[in-house]
Amino acid sequence: MRLGSKVRMSTVNSSDPRRPARVTRYKSPLAVNPNSSAPVPGEDPTADYMNVLGMIFSMVGLMMRVKWCAWVAIMCSCVSFANSRINDDTKQILSSFMLSISAVVMSYLQNPEPMKLPWEMLS
Amino acid sequence: MRTVMADARLKTLLVLLVLSLYVRASKYQAETEDNDFADFEEFDDDFERPYQGASPADGGGAAEPERAADAGRAAAADDRAQQHDGDDDDDALVEVPVHRSTNWDKFYVEMLMIAGIVVYFINFVSGKTRNQKLANAWLSAHKNLLESNFSMVGDDGKAEPGSGAGLLKESENMYTLWCSGRVCCEGMLVQLKFLKRQDLVSVISTMMKAASDQVEIRVTMNAEEMDTFVFCLANKKSAARLAKEMTDISTYCPERKSAERFGLPAHFSVLSEIHEAAAAVLDARVVAVVNKYPELVEYIHVSDQYSGPKQQLDDQAPVELPKVKPTLAFCFNLPGRGRLQPADVETVRPLMQLVLYMVDRMKRCKLGREGRLKAEKNRLRVQEIFLKQTHQSRAEKAQAKREEKRRLEKERILEVRDRDGWRWGANREEDPEKQRRLEEKNEKREAKRRAQMRQMKVKAL
Repeated sequence: MRLGSKVRMSTVNSSDPRRPARVTRYKSPLAVNPNSSAPVPGEDPTADYMNVLGMIFSMVGLMMRVKWCAWVAIMCSCVSFANSRINDDTKQILSSFMLSISAVVMSYLQNPEPMKLPWEMLS
Repeated sequence: MRTVMADARLKTLLVLLVLSLYVRASKYQAETEDNDFADFEEFDDDFERPYQGASPADGGGAAEPERAADAGRAAAADDRAQQHDGDDDDDALVEVPVHRSTNWDKFYVEMLMIAGIVVYFINFVSGKTRNQKLANAWLSAHKNLLESNFSMVGDDGKAEPGSGAGLLKESENMYTLWCSGRVCCEGMLVQLKFLKRQDLVSVISTMMKAASDQVEIRVTMNAEEMDTFVFCLANKKSAARLAKEMTDISTYCPERKSAERFGLPAHFSVLSEIHEAAAAVLDARVVAVVNKYPELVEYIHVSDQYSGPKQQLDDQAPVELPKVKPTLAFCFNLPGRGRLQPADVETVRPLMQLVLYMVDRMKRCKLGREGRLKAEKNRLRVQEIFLKQTHQSRAEKAQAKREEKRRLEKERILEVRDRDGWRWGANREEDPEKQRRLEEKNEKREAKRRAQMRQMKVKAL
């Protein structure tokens, strides 16, 4: 019986694929080279693009007092926020929101008229 | 780099704020005839109108508050002139009423914008929770299977192993799970790539163009457990993409062949370096599973030279070959074509079993002598081509280094000469001597370099 249990133990061991001794820890693909400017392949760049786009729109909205640009900037920062990665810099998202909201506020402070749609502008 | 960018942006924001405030202030000081300030004049009218009624000079002023917004500039100026006559004496007594009669219904475009943003955020919250639910459903459906195969399921690389980190959230639509501690393989990385349900823009775009949730599984094998070959089974669309993007496939087996002769559906392609290996990998069991879920299998990629997608370095050619690891990579679609229900996740468990089966199978997939020789030859050839390619860039680098050295040398000579030019008195005889020596040295080096170049040219010929 002892022999039998031994045999069973060994068969269990050989059929069990687990090897606790050979555990390797998880390495985040970002952690390999966090300082390199090259984008990690296969990563979604939408958030970064939207961030830049939002910045451009809020600049245009602020400088040239184009209201729809300021609104589009807010939309862009929303999309960038939704697409951001968890370990992304929150400061960046916050600043893009601040910039776009300030673009809207400034353009309405300077000219509190309601926004006109393009076809209304023509008439 | 990100923090620097964020700092720079904060700075620009501040500068812009100050700038626009300044512009506003200076505009106020400017003449009121400026066209931009027509609006402000209109608002001034609104402020002043209520006490027009009290002034005796005013006739029907109180009866026309609606006119205010649309009144022409001339009319506004007229009004103001009238008023000024009337209330010269009781100017100090009348309180200016607070103006709060903005026509909100004129701001309908703004309302629309705000509504859009609110809807976006509602969708964000609901999409996020939905993705979370799907991820949890996937984990609970596979947990038992994984735990019976790996001694560690779920790790974040930081906490103590076995603390049950579970799924790691990379973003609102991507979750990863790292499993390790199994025979044959180093570890397995599962990436759940859901649709971006949290982003309204992508929700709309997936309505236009159907896409599905995907699971990507990458198993890093032990080097000794796998023979040397590159093989990929993929549906036609991803086969074209992989052949272009993946370093190993594009170098070892760029030609696509139909998978029909292996008994697989026609929409699959096989990219294989060694035919023998393809036949060994696609055994009866694998073929059966792929035939059972033809829509769900996106690709199966087996490679000992796996280094991921090609690196796009814009400024220079790569100086060393990318690091390779023997890897099995899988990509499966989740059922539902984008309308995945948490209950459906259960049905893809056989695909995970296929992954584990193939991991074990690799140990027994041994190439024959001929195949092994061929694989070795291929690898050597790739190495040689790479060395040849990089020879140029390496030579260029060395050349640049030499140039720089020569330039420094020249500068030193010039410096000595300059010093000699304006310095008079002590050590005057010494310096020309030094300079002459330096020049001689330089000439010698130049001659040597020329000889080398000649040699190189001869070699190249």
